[in-house]
Amino acid sequence: MPLDTEATPLGIGAVALLLALFYGGTLLMSLSIRRRKENADRYMTAGNNIGFGISAASMTATWIWASSMYASVTAGYTYGVSGPIHYGLWGALMILFIYPFGRRIRTVAPRAHTLAEVMYARHGRSSQLMLAGSNVLGSLISLTSNFIAGGALIAVLSPLNFGAGILVVAGGVLLYTLWSGFRASVLTDFAQVVAMLGAAVVVIPVVFFAAGGPGMFEAGVAAGHVTPQQESFFSSEAFMNQGAPYIAAVLAYAIGNQTIAQRLFAVREDLIRPTFVTATVGYGATVIGIGMLGVMALYLGIDPMGGDVNNLMPQMVSTYLGPVLLAVAFLMIIGSLSSTADSDLSALSSIVMADIYGQSVGRSAADPRTMLLIGRLTMIVATAAALYFATSQFNILDLLVFVGALWGCLVFPVIASFYWPKVTNAAFTVSVLAALAFFLPVRFGWLPAVGAWGLAVELLATIGIGVVLGIMAFGFFGLRPAVMTGTLAVAVSAPFTFFFLRDYEVLSGSLVAYAVSFLVCYLMSVRSGQDFDFERIQHVTGNFDDTSTAEQEDPDEDPDDLVLASDRPGPRS
Amino acid sequence: MTALLTTYVLIWPVVVLAVLLVVVGAFARDVRRARQAGRRVI
Repeated sequence: MPLDTEATPLGIGAVALLLALFYGGTLLMSLSIRRRKENADRYMTAGNNIGFGISAASMTATWIWASSMYASVTAGYTYGVSGPIHYGLWGALMILFIYPFGRRIRTVAPRAHTLAEVMYARHGRSSQLMLAGSNVLGSLISLTSNFIAGGALIAVLSPLNFGAGILVVAGGVLLYTLWSGFRASVLTDFAQVVAMLGAAVVVIPVVFFAAGGPGMFEAGVAAGHVTPQQESFFSSEAFMNQGAPYIAAVLAYAIGNQTIAQRLFAVREDLIRPTFVTATVGYGATVIGIGMLGVMALYLGIDPMGGDVNNLMPQMVSTYLGPVLLAVAFLMIIGSLSSTADSDLSALSSIVMADIYGQSVGRSAADPRTMLLIGRLTMIVATAAALYFATSQFNILDLLVFVGALWGCLVFPVIASFYWPKVTNAAFTVSVLAALAFFLPVRFGWLPAVGAWGLAVELLATIGIGVVLGIMAFGFFGLRPAVMTGTLAVAVSAPFTFFFLRDYEVLSGSLVAYAVSFLVCYLMSVRSGQDFDFERIQHVTGNFDDTSTAEQEDPDEDPDDLVLASDRPGPRS
Repeated sequence: MTALLTTYVLIWPVVVLAVLLVVVGAFARDVRRARQAGRRVI
C-alpha cells in the first residue's frame, strides 16, 4: 500500500536502479568466488575455515532480519523508551549465551554441516529428523517473512506492487546464492552488513534532528503522547509483554536455527568467540538504534498508516529523509532481508544435502555432484514455496509461534546431548514430544488456566525460569553454578509467579516447554545405563567430498585444479 | 531527562560505527592474508 496515492517517495526508475545496483553488486561478488566445479562441503560450510571479518559480518547480517527492524520500531512505539531494549538487547545477548555451546558442538563435531547431522551421530534418525524438520520449517517461514517484508517495502516506497516486489527480491537472492551456496551467502553478507550498519549510522541521527531533535521529548510529554510506563527505562509492562517472552524465545531460536549452526561450523575454530561477541554488539546496537525511530514516532504523536505499526519505519524515513538518504534507508532494509534470505536458502540446501540425501545413502556413498544438484534444486523449490506462502493467506505468525515452540522444546535435550553421555534417543524424542503436548494448550489457551491446571502451568513455568537461567549459566560457568542459578531462580521467582503468570500465555507457554522437556529428558536419562562416547560423533560426521580433505591438507592449492572424487576411476573410498 | 533521552537515541549509531570499523578492518585483513597466501578469501 503506497504512503500517498498520488506520489510514492521513490519513483519506479529510482527503485529499479537501487535494486539493480544492490542485486547486481551482490551477483558480481558471488561470481568473483565462483568455481567451475564447486565442492559439496564448501557449498555447505565454506571449508570450516573462514576468517574473523567475514564470519563476524555474516553472523551479524544473518541475525538482523527485516522483521527485527520492524519489530524493534514497533516495540519502541508500543512500550516507549525501554521497548527497543527489550527487543534488541535480549536478542543480542542470546548470540553471546549460545557461543559456549557452539564451541562444545564444534569440538565434538569439527567437520559437521548441520546440527541435525550431529544429532544423527549422537542419537539416531528420529532425533535427527525432529531437528531437521523444525529447521526446514523455520527457514522456510523466515524466507517467506523476508520476501513479504521486501514486497511490502517496495510497495510502500514505490509504484511497484507487492507481487512485483517479492518477485524481484526472491529472484535477486536466488540468483546470487544458487551457484556457490553458503560461500556466496557469507561473502555477500559482508557487503550487506556494510550497507545496513552504514545506513543505521546515518539514518538514526538525521531522522532525530529532522524530527525536532531533543525538543521532541518535552513536546511529546506536554502533548500527552506518552504514558508514565512508556517514559520509564524500567517498564514492567515492556518486560512482561516483550522482554521476558523474548528471552525464552530467542534462546530457542539460536539453538534451533540452522543459519546460526552453519556459521558456527564454518568459522575457524579459534575465532568463534570474537565472532559471536562482535555479532552480539553489532546486532544489539543496530536493532536497538533502529527501534529509536519507533520511540521518536511515539513522542511525535505519529499515527501509523492504516493503523498498521509495520508501516511506521517506512513512514518515518520517507517523512524525514531526503531522496538520497531515503535510498540509503531502502538499501538498509533490502540488505537486512536479503542477507537473512540467502542464509535461509543455504541452510535449507544444506539440510537436504546432508540430512536427507547424505545420511540416507551414507557418507561414503554420497556423490558430491548429486549433492550439489540437490542443494541447488532445493534452493529453487524453497524460493517457489516461499513465494507461494507469501502470496497466500497463510498465517505466518502462527507458524512462527509453532516453530519457536518446537525449538523451545528442543533446547534442553539438544544441549544435554552434547554434554551428558546418559541422554538416550528415547529420552530426547519423548521429552520433545511431551514438551510440545504441554506447550500447545498453554500457548493457545485450549484449556482455561484456572484451578489445578492453572497452578500446574505456573509451577511448570516457574521451573522453566530455572531451566532457562540454568542453561545460560551452564554455558559459561559449568554444572554446579548452573544448578545453583536454576534453583535460586525458581526459589526467588516462585512467590511472584503463582496466580500471575497465567495471564501471560506467550511467556508461560515457552517456559512450560522448557520445563517439561527438562523434566522428562532428565528423568528418562538419569537411570539409563548408556555411556555415550562423544569421540564417535566426529567419525560419523565429516566431509562428503573427497576434494575437501585434499584442500584441508593443502589449502594453498587451487581447488579448480583438483579433480572431483566422483570423476576418478575406481570405487569411492 | 531530555539530555538523557538524547544521549540514549544517539549512542547507538556511535556503537554501530565502531562495530562497522572493526568488521571492515577485519575483512581487509582477511583479504590481505588470502592474497599473500595465494588463495581466495572464501
